[in-house]
Parts: sequence; structure tokens; C-alpha cells
Amino acid sequence: MASSANSNQVPNLYRSVIEDVIGEVRELFLDEGVDEQVLMELKTLWENKLMQSKAVEGFHTDEQKALQAQQQQAQQVQQTQTQTQPQQILLPSAQQPTQQQVIVQDSKILHHMSATGMSAAATAATLALPAGVAPFQQLITPQGQILQVVRAANGAQYFIQPQQQMVLQQQVLPHMQPGGVQVLTPLQGGLSQQTGVIIQPQQIVLTGNKVPQNTQVMQATAMTVQPEQGAAHVQAQPQPQPQAQAPQQQPQQQPQQQQASQQPPMVLQVDGAGDTSSEEDEEEDEYDEDEDEDKEKDGGEDGQVEEEPLNSGDDVSDEEDQELFDTENVVVCQYDKIHRSKNKWKFHLKDGIMNLNGRDYVFSKAIGDAEW
Amino acid sequence: MAYQLYRNTTLGNSLQESLDELIQTQQITPQLALQVLLQFDKAINTALANRVRNRVNFRGSLNTYRFCDNVWTFVLNDVEFREVTDLVKVDKVKIVPNCFCSLVGHTTECTLAVWPCLQMFLNSLTLISSDL
Repeated sequence: MASSANSNQVPNLYRSVIEDVIGEVRELFLDEGVDEQVLMELKTLWENKLMQSKAVEGFHTDEQKALQAQQQQAQQVQQTQTQTQPQQILLPSAQQPTQQQVIVQDSKILHHMSATGMSAAATAATLALPAGVAPFQQLITPQGQILQVVRAANGAQYFIQPQQQMVLQQQVLPHMQPGGVQVLTPLQGGLSQQTGVIIQPQQIVLTGNKVPQNTQVMQATAMTVQPEQGAAHVQAQPQPQPQAQAPQQQPQQQPQQQQASQQPPMVLQVDGAGDTSSEEDEEEDEYDEDEDEDKEKDGGEDGQVEEEPLNSGDDVSDEEDQELFDTENVVVCQYDKIHRSKNKWKFHLKDGIMNLNGRDYVFSKAIGDAEW
Repeated sequence: MAYQLYRNTTLGNSLQESLDELIQTQQITPQLALQVLLQFDKAINTALANRVRNRVNFRGSLNTYRFCDNVWTFVLNDVEFREVTDLVKVDKVKIVPNCFCSLVGHTTECTLAVWPCLQMFLNSLTLISSDL
């Protein structure tokens, strides 16, 4: 579809521009005697801002961010739980691998990977039971990927963005079960080869492996998500979680969820910008629906497409767009011809970048009519 | 020399902000930042010209139009942007098309009925100063 084509086009275009620019200025940086590190920092900052703007999704950014978060967490995490396996797997995420969120319940280790056979590896790899990691907010990227803002007990916030297939995973885990972080380890093919981040207690583990088991993961996530409350105070519970739980996975996710719900409710901190609890509730129950909605936003079916992008004042508007973006829709381009006849104007434009309703679009040619 | 008009886009602004941050922490010089921006201008212009191949139509009502210093600015209301299957509606949009001649110089295509405001102002200054 054109819309999705355009939305698919934009991030690739941006990424190629970024790569070009960074490549070209590398020499300039070296000439000035500036370290390569600074160049990388520039790139990271740039990508992060792009990602934050939500005008476009950026894969690089997410991965880098996840890795950074993971590293930070690794340093801060205190392993309070006995079962915590001091394994932190930091896998450099390739640019394209799908990322999966690894969520480990402190009391239970969810290994969703088992379905694909990764569970064994995943189990081994995961265990970071963060004392208080609780995803409490999900942001939905234009392409339907959900960014989870996970808030660890120690207050650190991390963005977890599963790539591609991981969209399903995005369910925010509103509550980390007390004393633990839910970590899904969608590791495929062995830990060492997987890209992922495992955060020990108070850490968020992200794995960047492609997991054909998105659904599984999601289920697990859904299971663990408990839309209970407030701040994510995860009380470390020294509950040894045998890795044997890994095989349990899906069948057990639900029972686990129930069990989790029985545990002392976690105070989930809701960021002001997001109504996490409600979102989480919805997401828990309606993962698929959310996913579908996201896809539609990106320009899925025609009927849906018309609804989503419509944001004129008269129509049912997307509150998110209005509240968060409040964008002045701008089109920056070049013109071939501007014509006027009485009060009828015709525009022949080219090579433009548009920011409409908070999203970026590009065109090589645009023709328009307007009446004054 | 490429157009700098793409600096005020998501991509361009995020780059400028990032560069500003690095300047503030004194990791790069403003000079270098400027070089980066110039490089960005080139890259984005090339990318748009070569890598983008799609067409958009739009229709709306014109609220205001301005042409100053060879730059048009239009504000449209209730606009529908239509691509092949996509449709985006906005209630207000600002279009800032830049003229090719803004960098190269005046060409016949750019001769328009409206005088660039800046040019008029400069002309008036010249007249005043010549009287003194």
C-alpha cells in the first residue's frame, strides 16, 4: 500500500541519509582531531532524537539504546534473588534482527523461547531478575512497534523495543511481579549468538534475536502483565526459579499470571505522558487487537487507513496526536511552478518532506489545488 | 551548495540538536558542526532527488500566501493529501516551497508578480543612503 510504502520508505531513506552524512563527516572529524567516539555519539544522538520524535521509526536507535540501558543496568543491578542467574547476555544487536523482550518473572522464569527450542538456551541465559523492573508504558511507533518504557525499581527507565516481529511483545508489563522482572528470552540458537540484553534484577533484558515465536512471547508477556498498579516496586523475592520453568512457558504462562496476580501488588508508576494502566489492561487482554490497530495506523487496510490518519478538527481525532504532537503540519519542498488564476491556485511541487500529524512523509512530486 | 531548507525537518532538526549538544559539551567545534550541516544538506538533497519516487496530490483551501525573498509560504486549511492508497487529512498545513533560484540567482521561471519584500526593503535603503 502506498501509505505503508511511504512509511516504509521514510525510515530507510533517513537511515541512508544518516549513514551517508556520518560517512562523509568522518574525515572531517578526523581532520579536526576529533575522536571517532564523538562521531558515534553524534550518530546515536541523532537516531535517538529521530526515534523520540516518533515521526519515523529507527531500528538502530532502539538497539543501541537497549544495549546501553542494559549495560547500565548490569552495573547497577544487585542480585537479590537467589535464583538470579548472574548471566547477563549482552548481545550486540544486529541492525536487523528482531528484538525480543526478555521478561523474567522473579518468581518464575518465563521462557518463551522454549517453543522454538531456544528455551534451553534462553533459560540459561536469562535470569536477570530485577528487583523492580516494571514496564509501565508503551509507546507505539509508527510502524506498529511498541516501545516499552520499562521502569526498573531503581528508577531507571529503559526503552525496550522489539524489532519487527516483536511487535507483539510490546505489551507493557505493568507489573513486574514482586521481586522480579519478567524477562522473555527469545533467544534463538544459543545465547552467545543471540543479541539480547539481560538485565539482572532491576534490569531489563532484551534479546535481539529473531523469534518466530512472537505470539508465544506475547502470551507470556500478557500473562505476566498485571495491570495492577502503580509504581513498580518489585520486591525482590528470593525465590529460586528453577530453569525448569522454562519448559513450562506457554502452558504455564497463564497459571503464572494468575499466580503473579496473587502476589503482592506492585505499585506501578505511571508516567504522566502515558496512561499505562489502562493501556496495559487493554494490551493484556487484547494484544492482537492492539497489534492490529498499530498496523492499521501504519496504513494497513484502506478503510482503516482513512480513519487513522484523519485528524481534521471535525473528525474523530486521535487524541494522542493532538496531545502529544500538536504539530504544525509543515511541508518543506521545492517548487516547479506556482500558478494562480483569480483565486484558484495550482501548485507543482517536488522533492519534499512533509510532517503531517506528527509523521514524516516524503514525495518526489506533489500537485495541489487550493482556493483562496 | 545545496538547499538548506531541509534543515527544518525532523531529520534536520534532530541533527542540529545533536550537534548543539556536542558543541555544548565542547566535543566538537561550531565550525565542525557547520561542516556537518553542509554535508547533511548535500546528502538530503541527493537522497530526495534520487531515492524518492512517489507522487502526492493534495487539495484544500488556501488561507494565506506569502512570497518573500523568493520563498513562498502557504497556509492551507482542511487539506487532503492523497497518495496512491493513502489519505492524510490535516486541518492546517504550511507549505514552504523553495525556489531553485534562491541559490543560483534569478531565472525567468522565478519572475513573479510579487516583489520580494526584502528586495524592496533593500532598494529603499539604497535610495536613502544615496541621498545622504
